[in-house]
Amino acid sequence: MTATAFQFDDVTFAYRTQRALEGVSLTIRSGERVALLGANGSGKSTLLRMMDALCFPASGTATAFAAPLTEAAFQDDATNYAFRRRVGLVFQNPDVQLFNPTVSDELAFGPLQLGWEKPKVRDAVDTVSARFGIAHLKDRPPHRLSGGEKKRVALASVLITEPDVLLLDEPTAALDPASRANLVGFLAREPGAGRTVVTATHDLDIVEDIADRAIVLAEGRVVADGPVLAVLHDVDLLRRTHLVFEHRHSHGGPPAGSHGHMHSSRQEG
Amino acid sequence: MADQRYGICGCGRGRRGALDSLVLGLVNAEAYALDAEATATRPGFLQSVDPRIKVLALVALIVATTATRSLVVLAALFVAAVALALISRIGPGRLARQVWVGVLIFSGIIVLPAIFLVPGTPIVHLPVVGWAITLQGLRSAAFVVGRAETAATLALLIVLTTPWPHVLKALASLGVPAAAVAVLGMTYRYVFVLIEAARHMMEARRSRIVAPLDGRERRRMLMTAIGMLLAKTFALGSDVHAAMIARGYRGEVRLLHDFHTRPPDWVFLAIALAVPALILGLQP
Ligand SMILES: Nc1ncnc2c1ncn2[C@@H]1O[C@H](COP(=O)(O)OP(=O)(O)O)[C@@H](O)[C@H]1O
Ligand SMILES: [Mg+2]
Repeated sequence: MTATAFQFDDVTFAYRTQRALEGVSLTIRSGERVALLGANGSGKSTLLRMMDALCFPASGTATAFAAPLTEAAFQDDATNYAFRRRVGLVFQNPDVQLFNPTVSDELAFGPLQLGWEKPKVRDAVDTVSARFGIAHLKDRPPHRLSGGEKKRVALASVLITEPDVLLLDEPTAALDPASRANLVGFLAREPGAGRTVVTATHDLDIVEDIADRAIVLAEGRVVADGPVLAVLHDVDLLRRTHLVFEHRHSHGGPPAGSHGHMHSSRQEG
Repeated sequence: MADQRYGICGCGRGRRGALDSLVLGLVNAEAYALDAEATATRPGFLQSVDPRIKVLALVALIVATTATRSLVVLAALFVAAVALALISRIGPGRLARQVWVGVLIFSGIIVLPAIFLVPGTPIVHLPVVGWAITLQGLRSAAFVVGRAETAATLALLIVLTTPWPHVLKALASLGVPAAAVAVLGMTYRYVFVLIEAARHMMEARRSRIVAPLDGRERRRMLMTAIGMLLAKTFALGSDVHAAMIARGYRGEVRLLHDFHTRPPDWVFLAIALAVPALILGLQP
């Protein structure tokens, strides 16, 4: 019997008038690797932000490690501190995540805010930059890095505090194929070791490598939840939720060679 | 979204489009900021001064610049500013490019009429129109330009010799409110993101448009672009705030780097503070 990391019961959320989550109920156990699938606007990012206590349910209840996720609870410094130590979120847009003048400062930001002693922070910066292959970038300003480098710095800046839960928002969006393969390889091996990982994506090709369970969202609702392979093989479901589309085209040769087959809809979002 | 009623100025017609100028300005700002990143980490005098002391001292000199009523003192302050730049390895070429020319054009436009309009002893008469340039007019123009050049040079020295987060931390430790410091910090950092956005918008526009636009179309486009940039800035600002909170930020920035004040820093501060004190004390 493993501990429960997140428990959501009938949660709704809206941005002013725009509904984003509708009656979401789900349980994520500690150590699970979960993929959140869904087309653009289906509510993946909103759900991740709620798991990171950056927004709170308008109705329904949500808990993290059996503690309530409410605005009132997070007014308390101790609650906030304990939560931030355990849960880390890598934002989709690295320009949002990387706001420090140098890569070193970026890596040190989280630990310093969490009150680590400076010598310990310096050691952690060295260790994590070696592990992520970004030691040579330490004095560079993050906004001048390539897309792949930015992603690695963003990931390192969150993993430096060794959170129990890693939340990833579309980690492969806007990456070139080599950086993407590099990152997926990293995600497949590295977070490991009992860490809970929740990845929002519509990049179906990476799901098998980075998750064991898949939750499909459509218009703010959970429409499927099960083992990754079962979900990926439910072509009907994937088509209904716009995760794949049918596309007629020709692979060269005369028009007779044209055929219909499935493509994953890996657009940016 | 931007209100289109503001697009009635008629500028941009027949000249370089306003959007292009906007982007060009932003691109220059980027090159400028990159320069600053490089010079701030170079070894030099001001680079070695505690940022808090440096901000105080240079602000004191700026106060002296605006307070003095003697052209000789103003000239001396200007020479001092250039000397500070030189021992901080910032060459006059960079100063000329980044401040002097711009400030001269800007303040020159403002003071040009004064040369003729201030009554006094004529020293030369312009041919044809016969306007007289007066000694008093020249003097007042020299003050305006000299003050602007000297103050801008001193202000630039803070930015060129201090990594930006250190400027922010120094301001915070000198009692500047946290909100003001946060806004400054955000502005500096996100100029880059906005430059990218503006550049993309320009490229997208260029690739879509074949025929030249008339002035009205152009203004509409500029307003839309500015509206999009504002919306984007706002969205970015709140996302960045969320990203900071996600990593444990609760309103106070902590840096790995500690400031250290050394004895020469105090000497520098004492001299810098004495200058405006002397000027204000000795002036009638
Ligand atoms: N800051 C916001 N303001 C208003 N509406 C938003 C905001 N962020 C997201 N939304 C809306 O909420 C819904 C869910 O969005 P989001 O969670 O970002 O989906 P996803 O990450 O799956 O693309 C969408 O309809 C989106 O337009
Ligand atoms: Mg999203």
